Order: sequence, then C-alpha cells, then structure tokens
Amino acid sequence: MSSIDVSDIQGFALKGYNFPYARYLLMELLQPEPARTFITGLLASKITTGERWDEKPLTTLNVAFTFNGLLKLELPMASLISFPLEFQQGMKARSEILYDTGRNAPQHWEAAWRENRVDMWVAVNANTPEALEDRCAEVEALANATGGARVAQSQPACAIFIDGKASPKEHFGYTDGFGNPDFQGAERGCVPGQGKLTAEGNWEALATGEFLLGYADEAGELPVAPIPHLLARNGTFMVYRKLHQNVASFRAYLNEKGATYPGGKEKLASKFVGRWRDGTPIELSPDRPQPSLVNDPDRHTNFTYADDPRGERCPLGAHIRRANPRDAFGFNGQLVNRRRIMRRGLTYGDYVPDGEPVSDTDERGVIFMALNASLFRQFEFIQQQWIEYGNDSHQGNDKDPLIANHGGHGKFVVQGTMDPLNPPFVCAGLPNFVELRGGDYFFVPSLTALQMIAAGSIDPR
Amino acid sequence: MSNTNGQIYGLTILSPIVQDHVLDISHAIELRQYLATLPQDHTSPFSILDSTHMARLVVMDDVVYVGAPACEEHLKSRYLVFETNFDGDLDTYLSRMAAEIGDVVDSVWKHCVGYPGVTDTGAFIAYMKRCQIDTTFFFADVNDHTVKENLKALQVQSALAHFIAHHQGLPPAELQRAFGQLLCSLDKAPLPPPGGLPSEKTPAEDRPHE
Repeated sequence: MSSIDVSDIQGFALKGYNFPYARYLLMELLQPEPARTFITGLLASKITTGERWDEKPLTTLNVAFTFNGLLKLELPMASLISFPLEFQQGMKARSEILYDTGRNAPQHWEAAWRENRVDMWVAVNANTPEALEDRCAEVEALANATGGARVAQSQPACAIFIDGKASPKEHFGYTDGFGNPDFQGAERGCVPGQGKLTAEGNWEALATGEFLLGYADEAGELPVAPIPHLLARNGTFMVYRKLHQNVASFRAYLNEKGATYPGGKEKLASKFVGRWRDGTPIELSPDRPQPSLVNDPDRHTNFTYADDPRGERCPLGAHIRRANPRDAFGFNGQLVNRRRIMRRGLTYGDYVPDGEPVSDTDERGVIFMALNASLFRQFEFIQQQWIEYGNDSHQGNDKDPLIANHGGHGKFVVQGTMDPLNPPFVCAGLPNFVELRGGDYFFVPSLTALQMIAAGSIDPR
Repeated sequence: MSNTNGQIYGLTILSPIVQDHVLDISHAIELRQYLATLPQDHTSPFSILDSTHMARLVVMDDVVYVGAPACEEHLKSRYLVFETNFDGDLDTYLSRMAAEIGDVVDSVWKHCVGYPGVTDTGAFIAYMKRCQIDTTFFFADVNDHTVKENLKALQVQSALAHFIAHHQGLPPAELQRAFGQLLCSLDKAPLPPPGGLPSEKTPAEDRPHE
C-alpha cells in the first residue's frame, strides 16, 4: 500500500470538506514576479492540506492553475511541454471531443472563460458567510497589494438550505454527493461500493495513481505527469465546469411525462438518476425510497448491477449507471477501474421548492469539479463515451438523460417488467436540463510544487 | 475460412505502385493527392457499390524501422493497400467495381504496376486476384448481416423508438391499430440510402422556459 504524505497534498484533492459556503475566485495573473509573490503570500496564509483536523477550521484555502497560468508564471519550457496535451489545450479547445457544442459551445460561455482570463482557481470554503467574506477579502487584498493577480470572476457557491440546515440537495431536488472512489493512502477506510470490485465481489481501494500524480496507478504505471517529478508528485488534475440548471424545463418535463408514466412522477425521476430523490438507490429499492438505506454509509453505495442486466430496476441509461457503471460491463467491474473520478461540487443560486414559480433564466446550478490523474483517460472518457453517447451501455446514440447535451431531441429508454407499475417507457424530446456556462482544466500542485512555483525554482534538468 | 465470415467477404489487395525515377512527381505522391480528393461520407464512390460495408485505400511506403533490437527490413516496392468488406462473392463485387465506378478505379490503379484497366472485366478481375492476399481476420462488427439488412434494422429501430414515444399508454385496440399502420408503412418505406440513415433532423434547440 502506498503511503502518502498528506501534509504535502492539498486537502481538496483528498477529501470533501463539507462546508456549506464557498467562493471560487477565478483569477487572472498579471506580471510573473508579482504573481509569484502573490502565491508566496497565499502559502504564508496557509493553504489547506490533507492533514487530519483536530478541530474543523473556519475556512479552507486551495489553489490550482490552468496551463495559461503556468505559462504566465514562467515555468521552464521543458516542464510546460511535459504536461499532458489535453491540459495544455484546455477545456475550450476540447469542446468538440466533449460535445460541448450548440448551446454549450464556448462562444456561449461567461466572459471570463470565453476571453481566456482565468489563470488560477483560488477556492475558499467556509462554515459561515462572515468567515467566507473575511478570507476572500484577505486573498483579494493580497492580490492587490502584490499586483500579481486580479479577480476575473468571483463565483459564489452555497449548499441548499432546507429548514435552516445545509442539505446535500441539488436544484432538481436530488440528494447528491454520495461517495467518491476510495484510493490507497486516503484517510478513511474503504467504504463498500466506493472502490473497486475484487474477483470475489468485495470492494477495495483503487491504486493511488488513479487520483494522485507520482504513484502507481491501476496498470502499475506512473500516470503521465510533468517533469521534474517534484513538480508532479502529490499533485493532480481538476476539471471545473459551471453547469447551469434549467429547473423550469426539468420540472415541466417531469410533470408532463410523469403524468403518463404508470409508476408516477417520483418513480420516473428516480429512473433518470438511478436514485430516488432522497438518495435511495433504486437498484436496492426499486419501489420506494428508504431513508434507512440513505443514512447507512455501509449500504447507500453498496450495490452492483450484475443481477439487473436488463435494467429492470435501474435503467441501463440512468445517470449513475452511466457515470459509474460498476460491474455493468462484466469482468467484475475491471473495465471501469481506470475511468473513475473524484467529484467535488457545490450548488449556486437560490433553491426554489417544487411547486413554486421558477425560471430557467435564473442564475442557478452546480459548480462541478472532478479530480483525476488523467483528464484524458478519466474525465474526458466518461463525458464523451458514457454521458454523451450510449454504445457501452447498449443504448445506441442515447445520452445521459439528466446532464447531456440533447438539443431538444434526446431520448431515454426506461426498461421495465410485466409489473403494471414498472412498464417499459420511452422519454423522447429531451431538452438540455443542464447547460455548460464555462470552465477549464486545472493543475492542482502539491505544497512542495507550489513553493517551487512561487520561488521560480523548478528545474526540469 | 479465410476471406469470408458468413455472407461477408473481407478483401485485401496490395498493388505495387509504379516506381519511375524520371517523373517530376512520383506515382505514389500523385496517388495520395488523388485519394485525398475522394469524399469519405455518403458521397464516397463506394456508396455506389451498395454492398460495401467499409472500404479503405492507403498508400504504404515501407515498413517503419523502430530501432534495435528490431532488424531493419524494407519492402521492395511501395504498395496501394485496398481493404473492403462487402456482401456476396468476390467476382460480382469486382465486376461491379469495373462497371459502376470504373473511372475512380482507373484513377487509382493507373499508378500501379501491371494494371490492365477496366474495359476488359476479365483481365481486371484476374489482375485484382493476383494482387489479393488472404484476409484471415477482419473487422466484423455486423455479425453476418448484409448492408441492406443493417439499413433496414436501423430504419425499423428508429421508427419503433419514435412510435413508442408517441403511442405509449394508448388503449390496446388503438395501439394495435397504430402498430399495424407502422408495420405497413415500414413495409412500404424505401430502404435508406447507403452511407447511413439521413441524419436525424436537428430542430432549432428548444428555448428554455423563460
């Protein structure tokens, strides 16, 4: 088992902080020398690492860079050209590959992304709005004082509060954020359903190198990483996508189809995702939500699809069956072990309870962030083959019903049984429930690498 | 058996390209330039030969030496590589090539050693067979279904999906009547043209609810 130095790894890359408030300061770097001074200042104000907390801090601080950012920081050319191609190109240049076309195409993105002004991601998570405000003000003051950076876009994010309590809900009403892949060396033990399947059908942690650079991955190889080794080790890559949610469209569609689906609206909603809106996996409980399941970490991600090859409980094209097919493709799930991502995300915009007036044009959605050792092999593959295409799940050209770019003519097949409440059903004319508003690929360096970047001392020779 | 998989034939042809050192532009370069002008979509000349699953024309210069410990070897000639998978027997297909896309065949193979032209179909077939090498393993994604069967299946699949989406939940009698109409219309529907079904209409993207 790899042993990892958690004090050298940004905490964001190791765990979800579970703070209700966040702000992503999307920054443009100015002159190289002041920009490096700015980073030195951030280091002094303490970047949050993966060290275990004796007491939960009021705020956290993490940073990452686009390729343009690293260029502006004057990393040596030998290091720059050693980064993987997709990171060098950035997400905008990959839009055709990712099917970020039509309404999701870069020309419709928000200005900061469209105009390539985002060099650096500074993320502040906080327990209270006041603490968030203070820490962000500190960062911005440092940027101003050093003249190293300015904010191109300030992206707020906040958990949805229900009855005064932060909830894991997203705007469509689903409970989100169940589990992330376990990997060797991470703080917690292996949770059933969250690592990889063994031949005996048990779950164990994935190789560290699937999520952190500088460690062996599932193939026993080191992931493609920049030189020198010290720049890469304990770092990782992140994709950031601002996903706007058309809540009015979603609710109208669900109301319309739910009225004719014999299982009813809520069951149809569960078929879209593979979970009831409270989070109950339909693979385990196809007929009704079960709060006791949702609240049991040993059970809420502990399922496979082997006994449901025809999608009678969880449709073959349901969102969670696509994004993490587990054993759905056979071979004890080995086909998916190199296509896993760690998700971090938080909603933004005001939550509107079901039944209240809502508009697609309101600013509302989720900031989707995912971490992986290879954007190409992990995130991009999932997005292209499993979300925006259906061949692997035997769904032809059908796409992910919930998050894909359907352009108004998507189709989703709900497989069924002879049970009159669980018949086969086809959802046609799917619009885009989710729209991409911008984002990019980021390198999340280790503390060591960050110090070297700040000092301008990276030596690839 | 080599070359065939059920009713599908996998043809591999290697035709040596003429080497004439006196020419300003080599045959290989001219051939590459010509191949680059051929459309690769449904307007490809091979879509005229409607039994073709796929076809590929490639100029192979030489084998690439990848360094020690491999030993360095070279081909005696440059070759035109022609790969195609089609329905039916070889003679019929080659005859159709000569008869239906003879001008394209001429423009390609005129750069090859010993090419007799397509006017004498027998000579053309004999030439092609001389250049043929056994195909023991080829891309067989269609599970022994002909091009026509595949096009029909895609047409039926698409029509059926559309039918279900628009008729699900109707009373049985009405459903049966509509289904009968669907079967009738599918029976009468002309086969989609080779090169794929006409792409699904892309309606102007739905405007979100404002």
